[in-house]
Amino acid sequence: MRWLQSIFHRVRNLFRRDAIERETDQELRFHLEREIAQHISKGMSPEEASRSAFLEFGGVEQFKEECREARGVNRLESLLADLRYGLRSLRRSPGFTIVCILTLALGIGANSAVFSMVNALLLHPYNFRNLDPLVRVWEDRGIDEGYDARYIAPADAEDLRSINGVFEGLTTYNYQSFGLGAEGDVQPILGCRVSANFFDVLAVAPAAGRLFTPAEEQPGADQVAILSYGTWQRRFGGDAHLLGKTISLNSRVYTIVGIMPKDFDYPVPVELWVPLALTPAEKADRTQLSFNALARLKPGVSVSLAGAVLANFSRRLEHEYPKTNAGRSTTLLQLRKELYMFTLPLFLLLQVAAGFVVLLACANLANLVFARMIGRQREIALRAALGAGRGRLGQLFLSETLLYSSAAGAVAIAVSFASVRALRASIPVGWTKWVPGWDGIRVDGNVLAFTILAALGVGIFLGLATLLHTSRVEPTKTLKETGTGIVTRAKRRVRSTLVVVQVMFALILLVCAGLTIQGFVRLANIYQGFEPANVLRIEISLPQKVYADNVKVASFYQQVLRGTASVPGVEHASLVTNPPASNVDNETTFFSIEGQASLKASEMPSADLQITSPDFLETLKISSVAGRPLSDADNADAPRVVVVSRGMASRFWPKGDALGHRIRLGAQDSTEPWLTIVGVVGDVRQNWWNPATRPVIYKPFAQAPQRSMTLLLRTASNPTSYVSAVRDVVRQADPAIALRGVNTLEEEIADSIAIVRIMGILMGIFGLVALALSSIGVYGVLSESVAQRTHEIGIRLALGANPRDLMKLILGQALKLTGIGLAIAVPCAVAISRAMASLIFGVVSLDFTILGGFTLLLLLVALAAGYLPARRAIGVDPMVSLRYE
Amino acid sequence: MSKPTDLVQGTLDLLILKSIALEPMHGWAIAQRIRQVSNDVLQVNQGALYPALHRLEQQRWITAQWGESENNRRAKYYSLTKPGKKYLQSEQANWERLSAAIGLVLKRA
Repeated sequence: MRWLQSIFHRVRNLFRRDAIERETDQELRFHLEREIAQHISKGMSPEEASRSAFLEFGGVEQFKEECREARGVNRLESLLADLRYGLRSLRRSPGFTIVCILTLALGIGANSAVFSMVNALLLHPYNFRNLDPLVRVWEDRGIDEGYDARYIAPADAEDLRSINGVFEGLTTYNYQSFGLGAEGDVQPILGCRVSANFFDVLAVAPAAGRLFTPAEEQPGADQVAILSYGTWQRRFGGDAHLLGKTISLNSRVYTIVGIMPKDFDYPVPVELWVPLALTPAEKADRTQLSFNALARLKPGVSVSLAGAVLANFSRRLEHEYPKTNAGRSTTLLQLRKELYMFTLPLFLLLQVAAGFVVLLACANLANLVFARMIGRQREIALRAALGAGRGRLGQLFLSETLLYSSAAGAVAIAVSFASVRALRASIPVGWTKWVPGWDGIRVDGNVLAFTILAALGVGIFLGLATLLHTSRVEPTKTLKETGTGIVTRAKRRVRSTLVVVQVMFALILLVCAGLTIQGFVRLANIYQGFEPANVLRIEISLPQKVYADNVKVASFYQQVLRGTASVPGVEHASLVTNPPASNVDNETTFFSIEGQASLKASEMPSADLQITSPDFLETLKISSVAGRPLSDADNADAPRVVVVSRGMASRFWPKGDALGHRIRLGAQDSTEPWLTIVGVVGDVRQNWWNPATRPVIYKPFAQAPQRSMTLLLRTASNPTSYVSAVRDVVRQADPAIALRGVNTLEEEIADSIAIVRIMGILMGIFGLVALALSSIGVYGVLSESVAQRTHEIGIRLALGANPRDLMKLILGQALKLTGIGLAIAVPCAVAISRAMASLIFGVVSLDFTILGGFTLLLLLVALAAGYLPARRAIGVDPMVSLRYE
Repeated sequence: MSKPTDLVQGTLDLLILKSIALEPMHGWAIAQRIRQVSNDVLQVNQGALYPALHRLEQQRWITAQWGESENNRRAKYYSLTKPGKKYLQSEQANWERLSAAIGLVLKRA
């Protein structure tokens, strides 16, 4: 605590400075008076006494200064003086100051904005206590199932619960769409069926009410629901007495028993949770991988240990139930990792890019400061000659650069508030529906601390760099110089290095930005095989209670299809279970091919199953490869038929004879009817993250009606203008049915790749900023170094040098520096783009147009930066430039 | 008269602390006291006394208070603080050990 007290005293002394000065005066005067009196009493004359007393005492002013120093006021005072001096010099050149501060604020603000995303999306995607031991568990069949087909069979999950020593708890869940409300006013909402321990595993408590009890996992006892905070607010107006009240879900009555906290939205922002109640038969099912599973590891159990235990577990199941479990391996992955498997590298890339931007800003600023330092050489030499030590000079520079950087930091904080707001405002809600944690993006304590630290770091870095830069000032030499601003070789080297570094960073950043944007563009075009323009998509879900039998379901949809198709401007109307870009994998199914020997469970082929109405191919303009498309004739009474995708046909019938073959869906003991393949159609990319073309089976809707379908309409003009007409048609068919997910297919595609799009936009901005900063920087350094040689150029011209040779000389030097920078940067950029190719889903590849283009661009900037000042210098009359100082 | 001996570096603090150990004193009196007690051998550079006093005050070994001097003038009186007393004891012990050791070396060598 002593040092705290001491600082306190120093600061207090600072404020009581005048009083203390007076006291010191008084004290010293008292001493001298006493001394003089003593001398007089020993017999000296008054004059003699006074002379002798002052002589013995020594230099009064010097000791006063030493007293000030002893009180520690001096250091603080000199710091204040330096700051005042700094402020004055900032005010003297406002243009320079503003450029410096804005450049730095831009760099720091960019970092804060990215960090606010990293902070929200990566560090705190969920507000669970202790996220690390949470793992996702699923069964892998060793066949490409798509990235998010991570499911587990109910019976296997049950067995997994009983193994000891690994999990503190394991919970299963799946999504379900519900119709909320009574007949006539049914609202579709997304819910999640969860086993009773779901919230315990996540270690969350309800904001109000209670969680589920194990007894509520029994069918019949399961009519209880927990609402999300948002649902409570939006749909029930935050009703304080909601607990205990009932709601109707899919025409069943549920009692509301709890409300979750505001920030709880696992696994995705669903509106409510209900117990996952399974019948004994459902519980014993091992064939279908139908549930998501999440577990919390016991303390001290590592992921790899748990992995080993699970491997054993799968071998045991394989042995016990070879029919269903052969070839299945139980796998786990940390929740945090799963969540950001794809986006983590992107975020890192973004943060590194933002780091580059701030480095470029620093390099620019260093340039400007160094340039000013050359002008201030005499001042610095004078200070050194008057006895300012290195520490004292360092304090001067540090206080100046800290002034810049703290001003920049303050602006950067404002910038980051603004940019976070802009980021959240400018990104449509649709984009972020697949980005957990997005709503948590804000400037919080972490982000503020990050910004302040960054600003301080930049200030100290710049101050020290300046000090290093001026460390070799020799007062006598500099003071004797005539002030031509002679630049020593060492200094020129520092500034040349700056040019090289700037060119380097700029090229790397530009290449990264170019590749990311290219990746985005390619992702946007990746949905191939259909035409997304002018297509409207609408999800419809029929309540189970009212639409219990297929006939009723089929007639409802028939009416909707007929009604919408006759709306003027609607060219085609069709139904599909899972439209492209839904960000959900297709339902997959095993199948067997007629005439082929029956296979083991692990070797059964599987395919995606889509149920479509006849006009589906026409609506999306999917090409027909062979045979015929599905037609209205394929109704419930007609022979069972399917159409398959080209990828499926060529994989299972490589000779091209898929037509006419019969397949049967389901496991090997399935009793499904045989289906005849009547047509082959083009492949369609379903979701952006899964580059593999999956085999797809298209079943006619009339032969397999489903309650939840997506209605697709190809329209003549802007699809959204048909929404109200469609609403009327559906209302005529059944007024109780609500429309969900109304959007154009193009929008939906853009939304599905939102995170990559956001990255692309940010990288684009960073790239532009980098280009601007490095152009300014390179131009600044080169033009200044030419300007400093005006004198020399004048001499050369006066001695008869050829202006063209001079121009070549100057441009050569500019190109040499840029060339060195590029030579270092190109291999780095190549390496980075290799790494990026693997990060961005294989859609990015090293592109020599990008690399070459940006290299050329930077060379042009360097040429311009050399040429313009050189022309000016050469154009000046030698007599004038000789006098140039 | 031989030239008064310059103070060994760092011993001025010790002398000041010792001088005011008994009673509060002002600067001039401290200088007088050191001179008298050392039989005029140690002459404190009078100016240098004050930075030392201010430093000791800053370090909280001593505190200062304004009071009436013997000739009815306002003077700044310095007195020892509690940590100052402790510091003086340890410094004095150090000094005694050091001078005894030097004395030993000078006698025997």
